[in-house]
Amino acid sequence: MKNTQLAWLFVLPALSGLLCFVLFPFVLSLILSFTNLRLGSPLPLEFVGFKQYQRIFTDAAFLAALRNNSLFALIVVPLQTGLALLMALLVNQPLRGMVIFRSVFFMPVVFPLSLVAVVWILVLAPGPQGLLNQLLETVTLGAWQARDFLHDSAWALAAISLTSIWQGVGFQMVILLAALQGIPQALYEAARVDGANQWQQFVFITLPQLRNAIIFVVLVTTILAFRLFDQVQIMTQGGPNHATTTIMYEAVNSAFGSQQVARAAAMTVVFFIVVLLLTLLQRAVGRQQGVN
Amino acid sequence: MVLHVWAHAGQEAERRVLQAQLERFNQQSDESQLKLTFIPERDYNAQVQAAALAGDLPDLLEFDGPYLYNYIWQQHLIPLEDLLPPALLDDLLPSIVAQGRYAGHLYSVGVYDSGLGLYARQSALQQIGARIPASAGDAWSIDEFNQILGKLAARDSDQAVLDIKLNYTGEWYTYGFSPLLQSAGADLIERRSYRVSDGSINNAAAVSAMQQLQSWIQQGYVDPNLDDAAFAGGRVALSWVGHWEYERYRHAHDTDLLVLPLPDFGQGSRTGQGSWNWGISRASRHPQVAAQFIEFLMRTDEVLAMCDANGAVPGIKSAVQQSTLYGGQGPLALFAAQLTHGVSVPRPKTPAYPVITTEFQNAFQQIRNGGDAQQALNAAAQKIDQDIADNQGYPFIEQ
Repeated sequence: MKNTQLAWLFVLPALSGLLCFVLFPFVLSLILSFTNLRLGSPLPLEFVGFKQYQRIFTDAAFLAALRNNSLFALIVVPLQTGLALLMALLVNQPLRGMVIFRSVFFMPVVFPLSLVAVVWILVLAPGPQGLLNQLLETVTLGAWQARDFLHDSAWALAAISLTSIWQGVGFQMVILLAALQGIPQALYEAARVDGANQWQQFVFITLPQLRNAIIFVVLVTTILAFRLFDQVQIMTQGGPNHATTTIMYEAVNSAFGSQQVARAAAMTVVFFIVVLLLTLLQRAVGRQQGVN
Repeated sequence: MVLHVWAHAGQEAERRVLQAQLERFNQQSDESQLKLTFIPERDYNAQVQAAALAGDLPDLLEFDGPYLYNYIWQQHLIPLEDLLPPALLDDLLPSIVAQGRYAGHLYSVGVYDSGLGLYARQSALQQIGARIPASAGDAWSIDEFNQILGKLAARDSDQAVLDIKLNYTGEWYTYGFSPLLQSAGADLIERRSYRVSDGSINNAAAVSAMQQLQSWIQQGYVDPNLDDAAFAGGRVALSWVGHWEYERYRHAHDTDLLVLPLPDFGQGSRTGQGSWNWGISRASRHPQVAAQFIEFLMRTDEVLAMCDANGAVPGIKSAVQQSTLYGGQGPLALFAAQLTHGVSVPRPKTPAYPVITTEFQNAFQQIRNGGDAQQALNAAAQKIDQDIADNQGYPFIEQ
């Protein structure tokens, strides 16, 4: 009995923080999504049932946001995880100067996302003078035609994905690197004795040993992918034609641009449900393949 | 007693002048001290809104043009006509009075008003043999303007000859381009009851005007201006922007700089008006002292000092007459003339303005990126009308 009481006492500060700053605002958000609350309006508050949800699910911008977030997650999660794994494997080599590479790969993570977005606007500058346009023209030996990435509905989301991957891959790399360094060398030695080559060692030892770390990285990256906001706000403002708008961007715009707080609350409730479903899905898939 | 004053962090020269004015005012009085806080311009409205909700507004603060009416509607401001001397009220420019008046009272006073036009390099226009408009009534028609763009582009290495500040974000798009709608015979919203935007913002005239602008961008005539130096650096011959760029452009081009009216889209050249204005919050415990500071800022020499710093049109008639920039044959006399002769159109005087401007900005972004103009404007109209309906037409509840 006493142990349980003590446990509750230790957990209490963190738990009250969670209740205060996460659970309570969420419940408030849920309640508000059934009203017509506006920012600073002197008119009385009314309950309107599911009107806000009706509105957002018939709004082209919000549906585009759901689509964009899903697309972004589908692009970024495999690419960023794969790239992070590759970089972790490279940096794990026992060669001289690997510490420098590790720091350099990790540096973008340290920069604030808004700074990264501003710099990438310049990199993605339109016209033949733009950095990326010049690079692609050189690499394709003149076959590339200069594009305005951020204002082209076909390329804008790809441009934002590129920025996000560049900024976030270092973080995933460090996590996978730590897991990589935790794999006992004895396993590799045993495999080499059995005649396994590099590729077989990778597939049959490295990957299974990294399974938990990879699941964690995929989960976190997916959730972060749905929280996409900074780059959209700074680089494309949701355009062109809703090609890059996201749930968070629509919610913030609704609350502070259009002063519709209840509508934004409804959007965040939908966001919560989506993330919850994704998390449950990934945990179910993770569990199926053996004991944790 | 200490009073809190909030101002937008504009150009450095503006900030220095306001800081100096505040210090001089503080020296004059023993009992009251004013404390000034500068808030970055980009987040200014959001900060004020947040403070208003928290009941934390300062005694005296600036408002960005038509955002004022939403705060009046939320009952955060007090009328000023009893706190200011009649001589000052008489001396105000009619556009300043029109901006500050709402529901029968004067709620704000602007030290300056704004000017919007087309800066041009005279040498470039002479090279192609273009006519130079002498006044707003003489502005280029849209056909003339298209021809001029074509001729300039033919002589320009990268074809980009016009700068419309595409690097700016936010309110600039409504301020700078709603005159396009008005010049074509459309508007952001009907001005009789301010209830319905459908039919004004998305009628045929509005769509064709926005398609004109879209065609300039799609033909490559518009410089993306990422470094904000397209005109100052001489890359383009025309710059569609307001008074705040005058100092920089004059330094760059000196006597080659021309200030021209915006082109005429059919119903006459139109331009924007309205700028930052001062109001006193209802929560202030020393409204008289706050009003005294407004009076101080509106003295002729103080107004001229501020307008010399930011190039804006002085808010009082006596200052306009004395101004070397705006009076008589001054280089910016066009801006003053536009304000007094009805060429400038105020942005809609309604508490719905924050939504109107957000939706117009969204529509503009879609149009600028090649989207369908009719669809974009229809979506804007629908959202604006829905918001006004949600707020029951923004009824003014007298307190």
